[in-house]
Amino acid sequence: MRKVALIGAGVSKFGVRKASYRDLIWEAGKACFDAAPAVKPKDVEGLVVGSVMPERTAFQSHISSMAAEALGIRPSALSARTEHMCASGTVGIRYAYAFIAAGLADLVMVLGVEKLNQPSGDEAILNMGTGVDREWEASFGLTAPPCFALAAQCHIAEYGTTEEQLAMVGVKNHTHAAKNPNAHFQRGATLEQVLGSRMISSPLRLFMCSPITDGAAAVLIASEERARALTDKPVWIRGTGQALDGFQLTSLHEDYAHWPALARAAQSAYGMAGVRPQDVDVAEVHDCFAIAELIAYEELGFCPKGEAGAFVADGRSDYGGDVVVNPRGGLIGCGHPLGATGVAQAAEVFAQLRGEAGARQVPDASIGLTHNNSGMGEHVVMIYGRERR
Amino acid sequence: MSYFRATDPFPLESAEHTKLHEFYARLAVGRLATTRCATCRRLAWPPRAFCGECGSDRFDWVDLSGEGKIHAFTIQEVGLPAGFVGPRVFAIVKVDGLRVFSVLVDAEPAKVAIGQTVRLSPLRVADDPNGNARWLPAFRLA
Repeated sequence: MRKVALIGAGVSKFGVRKASYRDLIWEAGKACFDAAPAVKPKDVEGLVVGSVMPERTAFQSHISSMAAEALGIRPSALSARTEHMCASGTVGIRYAYAFIAAGLADLVMVLGVEKLNQPSGDEAILNMGTGVDREWEASFGLTAPPCFALAAQCHIAEYGTTEEQLAMVGVKNHTHAAKNPNAHFQRGATLEQVLGSRMISSPLRLFMCSPITDGAAAVLIASEERARALTDKPVWIRGTGQALDGFQLTSLHEDYAHWPALARAAQSAYGMAGVRPQDVDVAEVHDCFAIAELIAYEELGFCPKGEAGAFVADGRSDYGGDVVVNPRGGLIGCGHPLGATGVAQAAEVFAQLRGEAGARQVPDASIGLTHNNSGMGEHVVMIYGRERR
Repeated sequence: MSYFRATDPFPLESAEHTKLHEFYARLAVGRLATTRCATCRRLAWPPRAFCGECGSDRFDWVDLSGEGKIHAFTIQEVGLPAGFVGPRVFAIVKVDGLRVFSVLVDAEPAKVAIGQTVRLSPLRVADDPNGNARWLPAFRLA
């Protein structure tokens, strides 16, 4: 297979935006092309768009073609939309990666976009029910918060993880987001604020949850030859893995404190990349809820099983620790515009590995990891490197 | 402005709409049932018309115990989809060795605990567009 690299990346402002679905596409596209000045829209051979619910929020399907036209891209090798709930963006990156690695394309944009607050956040909550099984789960009113709350309950019961440790994920990610001008929230948060915030689904409080956010992100991905021609600082895709444990809550691993599919996805990615967990300098993990970040530390191998609470409490997932997790603010601080999230994670790793992350820069970051999930049982992991290998 | 009314959150349960109609017919008279693959004899939850183990589409209906134990639960206070109100107790209930996702109806949140016995309590929801009654498999504290 051919080597493949990111050569450009950009994100829109995330938040409750007074902007249309197409406005968000324009903003992310512009930011991405600005980061890759050697590339013009007409040079791009393919477009993959990760987007989950535009049929309802923009009353629009046929998304890839619509976005290509908005950006002046005329796909000659690949045009597709990926819908895999919250992991749609990274699933799109894997498509582009595979096409380029196989020699079917040389330069592809992956764009993630979601306009959730349309007409209001309540509409997004209603639509989130489409991400779980309609007949056996959503018909009871199930959406994401109770699913992850169940995982938190199991982790607390089994490992003695505390509400304070869960809150520390919220504090860390809100604090990181304060340094990210594109984040949904930029005021930071104290432990008292997180612990005093409203209970959403026990034991998860508001500041331990990602908000309902509009936003878009884009990356340009190229073959080695094209990458070297277009930039001095390509960021190499070193490894990728995806694994599924189950779709319905009752088909997952019986103990929700264990996410075996994440461990398997990570194993595939680490093996392909030739790196170990301790080699990762910066990680963008899927903290849709605080418990997800804690379990991700364990399944990604950053700490032993059951010790994630202490790992965050001791600052080992923050600047100066073992690995900086979610420097852009994560989903909790940046917001979670579903299809855009995985692409925004890649954009952050792109900036970090090029040393262009400004106030958020992780010193001398050389290996970056992204983790995107769609529920507790479905995970995608990517590993990026400053060096090609 | 809202689009809420455009959606029907409940399954179409009548015989002309689903191979699983028998499940709902039994539920309407207070019985919890599921499918057993007629070829490999695997017991499924939820019921299914295609066996993911052996590939057979032949299945038999079997009644389960209407009683189970709470395996895990959470109480959602706010942020529920339109049409659902909090606090709502979501639970995984163990029934005859199967894990069943459901809600506990009429449960005082402070009294819910892991290991408690619960009983099937079919929940009547909105009729389908043709006016047929619809039920969901909910539970209540025993």
